[in-house]
Amino acid sequence: MIKVIDLHKYFGDLEVLKGINTEIKKGEVVCVIGPSGSGKSTFLRCLNLLEIPTKGEILINGVSLTDNMKNLDELRKNVGMVFQQFNLFPHMKVIDNITLAPIKVLKMNKEEAVSRAMELLGKVGLTDKANVYPSKLSGGQKQRVAIARAMAMNPDIMLFDEPTSALDPEMVGEVLEVIKALAYEGMTMVIVTHEMGFAREVSDRILFMDEGIIYEEGKPSEIFNNPQRPRTKEFLSKVL
Amino acid sequence: MDFIYSIYRLLSDKIYFAFIKEDRYMYLVDGWIISIQVTVFAALLGIAIGLLLAVVKFSRKSPFAQIADWYISIIRGTPVVVQLTIIYYVILADVNLPRTIVASIAFGINSGAYVAEIIRSGIQAVDKGQTEAGRSLGLSEGKTMRYIIIPQAIKNILPALGNEFIVLLKETSVSGYIALNDLTKGGTLIRSVTYDAFTPLLTVAYIYFLMTAMLSAALSKFERRLRSSD
Repeated sequence: MIKVIDLHKYFGDLEVLKGINTEIKKGEVVCVIGPSGSGKSTFLRCLNLLEIPTKGEILINGVSLTDNMKNLDELRKNVGMVFQQFNLFPHMKVIDNITLAPIKVLKMNKEEAVSRAMELLGKVGLTDKANVYPSKLSGGQKQRVAIARAMAMNPDIMLFDEPTSALDPEMVGEVLEVIKALAYEGMTMVIVTHEMGFAREVSDRILFMDEGIIYEEGKPSEIFNNPQRPRTKEFLSKVL
Repeated sequence: MDFIYSIYRLLSDKIYFAFIKEDRYMYLVDGWIISIQVTVFAALLGIAIGLLLAVVKFSRKSPFAQIADWYISIIRGTPVVVQLTIIYYVILADVNLPRTIVASIAFGINSGAYVAEIIRSGIQAVDKGQTEAGRSLGLSEGKTMRYIIIPQAIKNILPALGNEFIVLLKETSVSGYIALNDLTKGGTLIRSVTYDAFTPLLTVAYIYFLMTAMLSAALSKFERRLRSSD
C-alpha cells in the first residue's frame, strides 16, 4: 500500500533521514520506535508530505506522492494523521471538528456527516461531548476526538505521531485502547510511539530507527525478545 | 468664599469668551465633525489597504509581495505629518480635492501599513499545528485559511485593530498642517481670536480624551466577549 524508496530529508545542512526503504502492506500495523532525534517523526510526516522529502520516492497505492505535488490534497484525503499535540480546532465544537473536512472536502451533506461523526464518537466513547468545545475536554478526550476526526475521512491509512506523549499517565490507556480497536478492525497504521508494551501488543512489525535509518526491523517478538544489532539492544535495555 | 467666587467668575468669563461669545463653540463642533469624518474614512481605507497588503504578503509567489514590504517599511519609517504634507502639497497638488478627502486618503494610506502588520501577526500567532491538522485532513491551503486560521486569527486581530483606530483618531490632530479645520485646529483658531490658550486647548484635550476613553471601554467590553467564547 505504501512503498518508500531511498527517502532522504535535510533540514538545512542536517541530514535527518539518510535513505529509508520500506513497504507497508494493507491492514498492517507498523510501530516505529527509537531514540529521540532518530528521525521517526520526520519519517512519519513525510508520509503525508507535511515534510517534503529532499530525495527519494513515496508511492501510495502505486501513485507517487512526490511526483504529484499538485494533487496533494487528493492524496492526503486517504491518509489520516493524529498529532502529539492533538491540534483540535479550538473555535469549533467537537462535532464540527469532525464534520468540517467531510463536508468541505468530500462534499458530504451535513446530516450524513453528523451521523457518521456521532457513530465515530460512539466508537471512541465520547457521544456526550459532541456539543462542547475542545477546551472543556481532558487530554485523553481530545486525542480520542482527534482520532475520530481523522477517521471521518475514511482514510486508507492512519499515521500516529506519538499520540500519547503529551498525555498525563492516567490518560494514556484510554487512547491506546481506541488505537488498538482500530488495529483489530484491520486499519492500516503507522504509529510512532514510546509505549513499548503497546507496540509489542498491537503491531505486526516494528521498525527500530536510529540516526536517520531503519536500523533493525522485524516482528515484535523478534525485536523485543531477541534483538540482533547492538544499538537496538542498547536502546531496549534502557526503555524496557 | 470670595476666593472661590473669584475663580468661578474667572472661569465663567473665560468660557464665555472662548465658546459662547460669537458662537465660537462652533469652531469645536465643526472641527469635531471633520475629525470624526477623517478618522472613519481613513479607518475604512486603512482596513481595505491593510487586507490587500496582508493577502499579497502571504502569497509568497506574488511579485507584489516585495512591493508590499517596501510600502510597509516606508510608511512605518516616516512621520505621518510628513506623509500628509507630501500627499497634499506634492502628490495631489494639482488635483482639486476637498481637504477632508485628502486627509482621509493620507491617514488611510498610513493606517493601512499598520493594519497589514496587525493582520499578519494575528495570523502568524495561530499555532502551526492548526495548519498541519487542516492540511492533513485534505483541506486545501485556501480552505484551511478560511475555516481554521482566519476565525482564530480574528480574535487576535480585532482588539489590536481597535487600538489602531484609537491611535488614528489622535493622529488626525495634525490635519491642521494642510489647513484642514479639524478639532485641534478649532481650538487653535479660538486661541488666536481670544488670546486665551488655556480654555480652548484644555477643552480640546478633554474632548479627545473622552472619545478615546469611550472607544477603549467599548473595546475592552468587546474583548471580554471574544474571550468568553473560548
